[in-house]
Amino acid sequence: MLESLESSLEKVFGFQTFRSGQKAALSALEAGQDTLAVLPTGAGKTLIYQLYGYRHAGCVLIISPLLSLMNDQVDRMRVAGFRRSAAINSLTSYSERQEILQHLADYQFLFMSPEMLAQPQMLHRIKQLNLSLLVIDEAHCIVQWGPDFRPEYLLLGAIRTQLQQPLTLMLTATAGRSTREEIARQLRSTPTIVAESVDRPNIFLDVEQVADEPAKQVRLTQLVGQLQGPGVVYFSSKQQATETAIGLRQDTGVRVAAYHAGLDSEDRFKIQQQFMAGQLDVICATSAFGMGIDKDDVRYVIHYHLPADLESYAQEIGRAGRDGKPSIAILLYAAGDEQLPLFLGQANRPEADTIQRYYARPQAFSEEDAAIALLAFYRRHGISETAVINLFTRRERERNRALAQMLAYVREPHCLRHNWLQAFDEQSPAHDEQCCSPAGAPVDLAQLGLLATTRTAPTVVTGGWTAQLRRLF
Amino acid sequence: MEAVDLLVLLDSQQFRRLRVIENLLRERKTVSTLYWGQRYRLLYLLGLAKKMSRGALDLPAQALLQQGLIVTGETPDQVRLTPKGEQQATQAYYQPQTRDTWTRLDLMAARQRILLAVQVTSQYAHETKRYYPLATDLATRQAVRRWFHQAKGQSLPGHLFVSLKTALEQLPEMVAEVVTALFTGYQQPGQTVDQLARKYQRTPWEIYLMQLDGLMQIAQDAQDQNHPLRSLLQSTWQSPVSRSAQQTLAAVGRGRSLEQIATARRIKPSTAREHLLEAAILMPVTAFPYDWILTPEIQHAFATALAGPIDSWQYSALPQALQERYAFFYFRLYAIWCDKRGVERA
Repeated sequence: MLESLESSLEKVFGFQTFRSGQKAALSALEAGQDTLAVLPTGAGKTLIYQLYGYRHAGCVLIISPLLSLMNDQVDRMRVAGFRRSAAINSLTSYSERQEILQHLADYQFLFMSPEMLAQPQMLHRIKQLNLSLLVIDEAHCIVQWGPDFRPEYLLLGAIRTQLQQPLTLMLTATAGRSTREEIARQLRSTPTIVAESVDRPNIFLDVEQVADEPAKQVRLTQLVGQLQGPGVVYFSSKQQATETAIGLRQDTGVRVAAYHAGLDSEDRFKIQQQFMAGQLDVICATSAFGMGIDKDDVRYVIHYHLPADLESYAQEIGRAGRDGKPSIAILLYAAGDEQLPLFLGQANRPEADTIQRYYARPQAFSEEDAAIALLAFYRRHGISETAVINLFTRRERERNRALAQMLAYVREPHCLRHNWLQAFDEQSPAHDEQCCSPAGAPVDLAQLGLLATTRTAPTVVTGGWTAQLRRLF
Repeated sequence: MEAVDLLVLLDSQQFRRLRVIENLLRERKTVSTLYWGQRYRLLYLLGLAKKMSRGALDLPAQALLQQGLIVTGETPDQVRLTPKGEQQATQAYYQPQTRDTWTRLDLMAARQRILLAVQVTSQYAHETKRYYPLATDLATRQAVRRWFHQAKGQSLPGHLFVSLKTALEQLPEMVAEVVTALFTGYQQPGQTVDQLARKYQRTPWEIYLMQLDGLMQIAQDAQDQNHPLRSLLQSTWQSPVSRSAQQTLAAVGRGRSLEQIATARRIKPSTAREHLLEAAILMPVTAFPYDWILTPEIQHAFATALAGPIDSWQYSALPQALQERYAFFYFRLYAIWCDKRGVERA
């Protein structure tokens, strides 16, 4: 008989108790039920499949959409002691892929991108493995529709069928009712749902309306200059993240760096480690930043651009205040800000007549166009023209609904938390001064204890390069 | 690359083609690129920016043009320093000391290996078992793992420290600082090139060159029998000449004619010639059998027909009879030979 979940937890991680949600998810899996776990960032979702993998023979296959972060995930697995872990995606070099494929059956944890799994040969190899668990990480990507939308996620249902419906764990930080239903539908599963409240009572919610772009810059500079760090400022564009980092550095004197998918892996590694080590006060980031950041003393998260939906917003502000201490999430909004997420969403969405013309004469189109590439993908996978048109229409509707919900949050006159939690079908606690400050309402940062009391002096390096080199060893 | 980084690659006498510089950086090794890279004395740039996009030098070049620091030649792609540009180009900009040897090492692979080896040893010295390793490719990870398995021991951290210190002491203070700051290890995340560029008020490219200089110095020192990184870096030394070109050259050494080689190796005679030109450009003058190919007769013919600076020589301007007798290959090889011997005027 298997040892108890608690004994395994103690043995592998040295913890006495589970965090909330972990045990319920594991128990459901142990009972052989597919499970959709909606657990907030920082709740320890990874532990669920790590522990399951430890307790059961075979391979845990983790499907993750985040290419650039997959290797980080593998590193984290190894750091946690799970050495038989590997990742295969389009960034994996040919030789490395061959090496992994040769020893495929030896891995306990295999990370794969959806497009890699969608390849027939790869799927064939995976079918031969003894899969103990299939994990769909960031499962909300099945529903979300953005510049990084991954059509391959839509094939996962069919792939799952081909793999003989293995026990499946769907993981996401945030999913309202409709998202949950869509995830289950796409994956052809009726999972047990384990959901923890997305609410983070120690994060004060604030929406600030500003007149225009220049006013937003001014306000951001002011906030970064006043607030107690460390903090993260989110942008929708790499370029703006980079430029603002330069501006903030000059204007506020705080230690700022930009972080986005355009940096090479060495720079990303260093900036992430500097932030964790307290050598940086502020990160100007795109959504590429966050996963893999185990920093629990982030005091504020500011959104410079309007997120496309409340789910990504919840996920990103969830990086603040993991230590339970007072923190703040500020959304800066200028009229018309919704144009950017609208534009980004439409950028690779083909019109209905383009879809018709494409299906009539596919060879007349160049797949270099992202929208056409998407159509080609569907066509190659045997999805009919009507189905594709319906799909896009439904997605567009879903997307507009999500954006409208985001805007409703921005325009909420009374209680932001109430608005936010309602979107996730949750009840909110009674509103008080520690709760939130909708647009137009004044916010007293001093009262909330969020103002910087001490500026961290830049780390003084003593003794020149020889001493620094000496300290390494 | 910024304007100033390009400025120092230009000359006041010689018109230089931007595309050649770009192709060197992106490692597009055609014979023409290599030949002009040699003529510009810029072969050390080979492969230093493989991911650079095409046309990436156009913007910096435009900036230099607008500031009156360069002029263009017959085509907008050819540029030369103005007196004002020459004056600016001589201002303090770091000239890597080891650059003449850069093509002999797979510098990018060596860089990855040294960085990971330093991190692993640093964490080992502080007995840290769980840490995030630098993200590198599988080949690097395997090489470092093999090396570490064999090299680890109580004396390794101290030994590595002394070796690195010795290498960096041979370079200017600032370069030693910049290379040290590049390293990641115990409680030192390391600094990015951009951060160092801000700190020292240099361009990121100049900082990058300094770091490569430091890493090359470390690699050179590591050729010593007792250096702790010797076995790690040994396989990153390479001939700058491609394997295929080496084979052609070896066949010439065995006394085969180009036609015989081409037939035996199933390559076109023109490819065999390109192999030889590549080898001639990238190898020291003494290592290439010039005398075998450029017979005294050929040497005499060209010496008589060609005058003036090498860059002004044109095959199409040679007497028709000479062109008919000797293909372009011989003309180009003769130019390389003169260049290598420092004979600027034949």
